[in-house]
Amino acid sequence: MIRLRASLGFLVVCSVALLSCSSSHSDRIVVGSKNFTESFILGELIAQQIESHTSLKVERRFYLAGTYICQQAMLAGRIDIYPEYTGTALTAILKQGISRDKQDVYQRVKSEYERRLGLTLGPAFGFNDTFAMEIRGEDARRLNVRTLSQAARFTPQWHAGFGYEFMERPDGYRGLVATYGLHFAEQPRIMDLGLLARALKDRRIDFAGGNATDGLIPALDLVALEDDRHYFPPYEAVPVIRQQTLQLYPEIARVLADLGGKISNVEMQKMNYAVDAQHRDTQDVVREFLKSKGLVP
Amino acid sequence: MNLLRFFVQNHTQVLELTGEHLWLVGWSTVFAMLIGIPLGILIAHRTQLGRPVLATANIIQTIPSLALFGFLLPVPWLGDRAERLAILALTLYALLPIIRNTYDGIRGVDTTVVEAGRGMGLTESQLLFQVELPLALSVIISGVRIAVVISVGLATIAAAIGAGGLGEFIFRGLAMVDNRVILAGAIPAAVLALLADFGIGRIEKRLRPR
Amino acid sequence: MIEFRDVSYSVNGIQVLGGLNLRVAHGEILVLLGRSGSGKTTTLKLVNRLVSPTSGQVLVNGKANDQVDVIQLRRDIGYVIQEAGLFPHFTVERNIGLVPKIEGWPEERIRARVQEMLQLVGLSADLASRYPHQLSGGQRQRVGVARALAADPAILLMDEPFGALDPLTRDELQREFLLLQQRVHKTVVFVTHDLREALRLASRIALMEAGKLVTVLTPAEFLTSSDPWASAYVRAFGDGLESAANRGTS
Repeated sequence: MIRLRASLGFLVVCSVALLSCSSSHSDRIVVGSKNFTESFILGELIAQQIESHTSLKVERRFYLAGTYICQQAMLAGRIDIYPEYTGTALTAILKQGISRDKQDVYQRVKSEYERRLGLTLGPAFGFNDTFAMEIRGEDARRLNVRTLSQAARFTPQWHAGFGYEFMERPDGYRGLVATYGLHFAEQPRIMDLGLLARALKDRRIDFAGGNATDGLIPALDLVALEDDRHYFPPYEAVPVIRQQTLQLYPEIARVLADLGGKISNVEMQKMNYAVDAQHRDTQDVVREFLKSKGLVP
Repeated sequence: MNLLRFFVQNHTQVLELTGEHLWLVGWSTVFAMLIGIPLGILIAHRTQLGRPVLATANIIQTIPSLALFGFLLPVPWLGDRAERLAILALTLYALLPIIRNTYDGIRGVDTTVVEAGRGMGLTESQLLFQVELPLALSVIISGVRIAVVISVGLATIAAAIGAGGLGEFIFRGLAMVDNRVILAGAIPAAVLALLADFGIGRIEKRLRPR
Repeated sequence: MIEFRDVSYSVNGIQVLGGLNLRVAHGEILVLLGRSGSGKTTTLKLVNRLVSPTSGQVLVNGKANDQVDVIQLRRDIGYVIQEAGLFPHFTVERNIGLVPKIEGWPEERIRARVQEMLQLVGLSADLASRYPHQLSGGQRQRVGVARALAADPAILLMDEPFGALDPLTRDELQREFLLLQQRVHKTVVFVTHDLREALRLASRIALMEAGKLVTVLTPAEFLTSSDPWASAYVRAFGDGLESAANRGTS
């Protein structure tokens, strides 16, 4: 019987020890990111900023596999801060309908996050990673075309290429064509996203549906046409942070404010290109950028 | 050695993720014991209930874990927090070994001993706590051991739905195509499973009736 | 002391015991003799309600035993089975002290009682801290008897207690049991299939066959009985039965 009691006691002690192994970290900030280049460039940006402007230690938990995973990690306190897109937060996390107004989307996300989830947003980084309709730079210059409305006229002479998802989404190809009155020479080609820019450059297509911050845009001398009728929803990159973390370490608010509006679409494109196509080290690329902006001494 | 250096440099994160892993395994095992052991005792004494209960636990066991995580995602309250979902799923998977071994353990107690006890005037609850459970304990603990080892493995998959733990290293490492990160998750998970198997096995041996 | 009134017991439509009428007098050793399937063990178990009759009544000390608290009933009756049914995870001391413990006796009294019982059944005091698996079969059986007597019950039920022992040990224990009974004067119901044992121990022998009580005779009467079953038994057991009937000193 003594054996029984001793064993049970031992098991209880072990269980209690295990159960108190929850994730709590002190004087450390955990920065997360999703598993694509742009996301961990932004994550690295946040991490380096915190490291150089505060006395806090930063732990990186990058390459988390998607929006849901990051969200769960935030709610559970396993990460304190990570870069998200306003449009994604509104539709995928808050499950609400999207609007076209940048400010409106940002405000709605911020207030819902603060009200319901104990999270908040820092100021937007300054670029909008939404869909971008690309044409070759030479065509843009020759035809003096900068916006989609201007380009509509030339579409009967052009072949277009898009990713599969864009073709299928109701707020993708169909809406685009309707909004701008585009009439392509023939049915657009469906291609792998990664091949679109190349195909455009090699003149196999003349009009491609890509991402606004695609690194290949400046590299291959492509031009992203302006969405003058604001058809595409805003996907402004923002830092999402736990309110509890901000309360514990208010110095982070200043760090995030310093990053606000500092990255233009073109600058993001260049950083993406450096990491993806030139295979440069992310940490170096980010350090260079911060220096160039005077954000680090 | 590259891997060793990686472990040393990232030891806080390794420890953190290990802690998350143990949290998932710990709670789910506790719940599975709280449900499974009484259930096992019940069906050991009422064998007609035995077949449906064991059959149900068996069916749960055969559902692929990732699929079960997926089913539970849209459930309100559960799906809101990945840890809740993961702990529920892990609890369900731990039930079969615990129920089955409790059942086998209690049924395996020498019936003459139980009848002698009953004949001497022990109440049913005294019989349970002073005779049946102590004699069945080794087998029951064996069931707990199996459950824990299974849980340590399944908890690595829980990272796929955002519950954290050592599986996160594995998934991140796959995305980064970095073996060190993968191993930073896989090795501690394997070590945990082995330690649990060995440690609980020792307790089992000491409890075995002579 | 114990009375069976028209007791029948059936299970799954099969009648195990039919129309049993039997009285056990205070202080006697009543042996239930019969072969396997004769219903003798069932009869024994009806006394402490391990089995409940399908019809009829079992009275213990004048009261129908289904009208009293079954737990208290059992604690007031000593129960010894073959292979002793000792708890393997309890020491000898804890085994013997079990009923006193659950009856709430103070520790000191239990300890003293255990020592007393060990002495009574002829075991040395230092066996108290041993475990059953460390004892011989004979020692285990003695502990079983000690355990049954620990709370000083008036009635003792014994189900082939010496059946699994070698002949030498069995003989020893039978002899000692008789001496014990002279000291403690319990009312004993003893089940066996061994006529020799029955003749040696019984005040009276209740012969059972196929669930029915055939006859109840003293050992001397049994040897000379003309009842077909009784004489069949005598024949089957061969010679030397008289000495057993005389409380044999062999």
